[in-house]
Amino acid sequence: MPSGLASYVIRRLLIVPVILLIVSFVAFALGRYAPGDYVSIQAGPRANPETVARIRHDRGLDDPVYEQYARYVWNALHGDFGVSQHPRGVPVQDVLFPRLWVTVQINVLVLAFTWLIGIPLGTWAALKRGTWLDPFSIGLFLFFASVPVLVTVPLLEWALVHKLGWLPTGGWSTRHILGVKIGILSKHAILPVFVLTLSGVAGLARYMRSQVLEVLDQDFVRTARSKGLRGDVVVFRHVVRNALLPIITIFGFELAGLIGGSIFVETLLGIPGVGLLAFESVGTRDYDMIMAIVLLGTTIFVLTMLLVDIAYGFIDPRVRSGGSAG
Amino acid sequence: METRKLVYVLTGVAVSLIVVIGGLVLLVSGGGGGDDGSSSDSSPTLPARQQGELRVRGADPITLDPACASDADSASYIVELFSGLVSFDKDLKLIPDIADHWDVSDDGTVYTFHLRTTVLFADNSRRVTADDFKYSMERSLNPDTQSTVGDVYLDDLAGADDFIAGRADSVSGIKVLDPDTLELTIKAPDPVFLDKLTYPTSFVVDKNQVKDANCSDASWTFRANGTGPFKLANWDLGNQIVLEPNPNYYLDPKPALSRVTFLISGGSSFTMYQNDEVDVTGVGKDNVDTVRDTTNPLNAEYHTTPSLSVSYIGFNVNKAPFDDPNVRKALAMAIDKDFLANNLYKQLLDPAGGIVPPDMPGYDSTVDPIKYDPTAAKTLLDSTGKANDLNGVKILTAGQGAAPDDVLEAVTAMWQQNLGVSIEVEQEDFGLFLSDVDQGSFEMFSLGWVADYPDAQNFLDLNFHTGNSNNKTGYSNSEVDQLLDQARTDIPEAQRNDLYHQAEQTVVDDEPWIPLFFARSSYLVKPYVTGYDVPAFVIPTLRYVTVNK
Repeated sequence: MPSGLASYVIRRLLIVPVILLIVSFVAFALGRYAPGDYVSIQAGPRANPETVARIRHDRGLDDPVYEQYARYVWNALHGDFGVSQHPRGVPVQDVLFPRLWVTVQINVLVLAFTWLIGIPLGTWAALKRGTWLDPFSIGLFLFFASVPVLVTVPLLEWALVHKLGWLPTGGWSTRHILGVKIGILSKHAILPVFVLTLSGVAGLARYMRSQVLEVLDQDFVRTARSKGLRGDVVVFRHVVRNALLPIITIFGFELAGLIGGSIFVETLLGIPGVGLLAFESVGTRDYDMIMAIVLLGTTIFVLTMLLVDIAYGFIDPRVRSGGSAG
Repeated sequence: METRKLVYVLTGVAVSLIVVIGGLVLLVSGGGGGDDGSSSDSSPTLPARQQGELRVRGADPITLDPACASDADSASYIVELFSGLVSFDKDLKLIPDIADHWDVSDDGTVYTFHLRTTVLFADNSRRVTADDFKYSMERSLNPDTQSTVGDVYLDDLAGADDFIAGRADSVSGIKVLDPDTLELTIKAPDPVFLDKLTYPTSFVVDKNQVKDANCSDASWTFRANGTGPFKLANWDLGNQIVLEPNPNYYLDPKPALSRVTFLISGGSSFTMYQNDEVDVTGVGKDNVDTVRDTTNPLNAEYHTTPSLSVSYIGFNVNKAPFDDPNVRKALAMAIDKDFLANNLYKQLLDPAGGIVPPDMPGYDSTVDPIKYDPTAAKTLLDSTGKANDLNGVKILTAGQGAAPDDVLEAVTAMWQQNLGVSIEVEQEDFGLFLSDVDQGSFEMFSLGWVADYPDAQNFLDLNFHTGNSNNKTGYSNSEVDQLLDQARTDIPEAQRNDLYHQAEQTVVDDEPWIPLFFARSSYLVKPYVTGYDVPAFVIPTLRYVTVNK
């Protein structure tokens, strides 16, 4: 198995640069072919058109797209990912990484809460099949999963911030703990974490419920029960474990999404994370920033998916015996 | 039965985890639990509020480099951190700044500035001399700096064109006579030359710090060393910008605030104000009813000040049917601006009759406006026989989002109702909008103009003189050009304003723009803050503010 797995992993890893090239070229071309560029946007309507044209030329923005792309890749390979445009002239990583750290903190907490609550809740709902609690819980999950954050955020803000004054008005605040800027220990983190957990739990619980129901109907569960195993042993050892298998994929997605940020929540609450940054960068045609976000996101996504596949190899013997068919 | 036990265990674990983590969060964040109902006074990140500190909602500037700033957000920080030869005080009066006084030659083309000899950079490293001005102004004009504003504000200088084109190593119009004397020569007399010097492109930067940095290299601005009333204490990207008084500042009044904190992350400014997180906030359409209510305590904290800006609809006067002034006029006559200002905008704006805002100092802006008259508008449009050409015409506007500008919605509805023509609103992303307006590929567009300096020239000459790069409508009227040319010369102020007045009336009659509104700033200021006014355009104002808390 190890040799098979190793060659599989190596082959998958070799594809990563190819994927990155394709994704980055598409993102690059899309950005460059969009009308306007950062020079003209920053110059505004008042600048002298000749000056704007001269600066575009100096910055190579009027070169053919493939040339600009080649230059970008060349620089990126040398560790130069360009500069941001808002603020102007700051290396992208200096703007991106602090924003990334904010998003990661929120999402790690959200991921933890989502799984700690969602999995038991989904299991519980499945075991309640046939009682009024089942449709009730499904309805509740559906409701919370489908109400957009565009609605929940202003509502909660109105109630918790405006009326009750329990929480500060959006934003983000940090304190230094052992030299690291930590933001999730402040009240500012409560609203975004709560809102994202709410929709996350609803989605995960709904999925878990259907998985558990599927497993409950399988023969081996009935066999286990008829062998006289205790209910909780059956549920723990057989049902939940098996139901969790397909959910690992979801976990992988969510893990990859850790850096994604939520554009809506971050924008509505003014949280300086990656989602807000991506949103702003598109508007300001911050080419290098958009590219950095896309590349980072793609890399993490591809690597996480690889990890998920490897995890399956360890957990599920069926996948293992199937060799490297991914 | 056992499954129930399992569920209890699982949920129990989850609930206790939440309680523990939640409790930890509250404990560490120092919030006294959620039950006391009190609003949090300060965010835990920021050091506790200092005596005499002003807190406002801000945004990350695009740049703090004076040579490069082309937007109001950036400029509003820059004018507090840097300074130049002259500036405007809070009454919009031009005052000597680093220049103590100056002489102007008889022909109005040579300005000799005598500098204050006591001005030090904020870091105490050295004093500011005429050389620093030469370096800073040439840097703004230097093509290598890649500034889009340098030539906009400094192209009056003799030799600027040669320098930009690379035909000269320095700007011949900038001469250092001695460390305390700077001589600037301009191509032709220009009544607004001094006004243009108040723009950041003429501000002094520290050449030891800036070296050869261009607009795409901002590293030095995070430690910006200037001569303005304040110095940069901290710029934490995406979080906050902190200014502290510059102990070397030389004009009176000197800054009285102990610190100014711009909170960059955060939700609605208005809510932050209500929660005592910030000391001032703007008031928009959604909140204005609340604060105007005299029974509301916020009412006493409500202020409005005029702002030197106008919003308008521009026509492409070279494109049919808008090459016919009567078509433009008919459309203008069919808009009920009073209704828009009073009902849609709840009197946060004033309807505009002319081009120049009424609060322009020293300028009489009473023009004979085109009045709302739907019947006459319809008659006029029918007389042109071009009513059908208007159907399907598009009015461009910049913006993102589902619902376009409600003013434009209302305007097009008025046109539909009063003239029976259906004009569409087309919303474009800002980048596309700018390039379309620049290239004249539009029929109509909606935009605003904000003053760079308080002079009618800034509104009329720049927007309506034939061939000016800001003249986006393509408007050209030799009579107007003549008036504007005359006003550019060195003539008495009253005569100049009279010329502008005539030019403005002709423009209004020709209607290449439909002026819609003059803006006003509406905002709340906490009672312990004194001297805070939102200026009519970007000028240094924080040194007039005091916080008694």
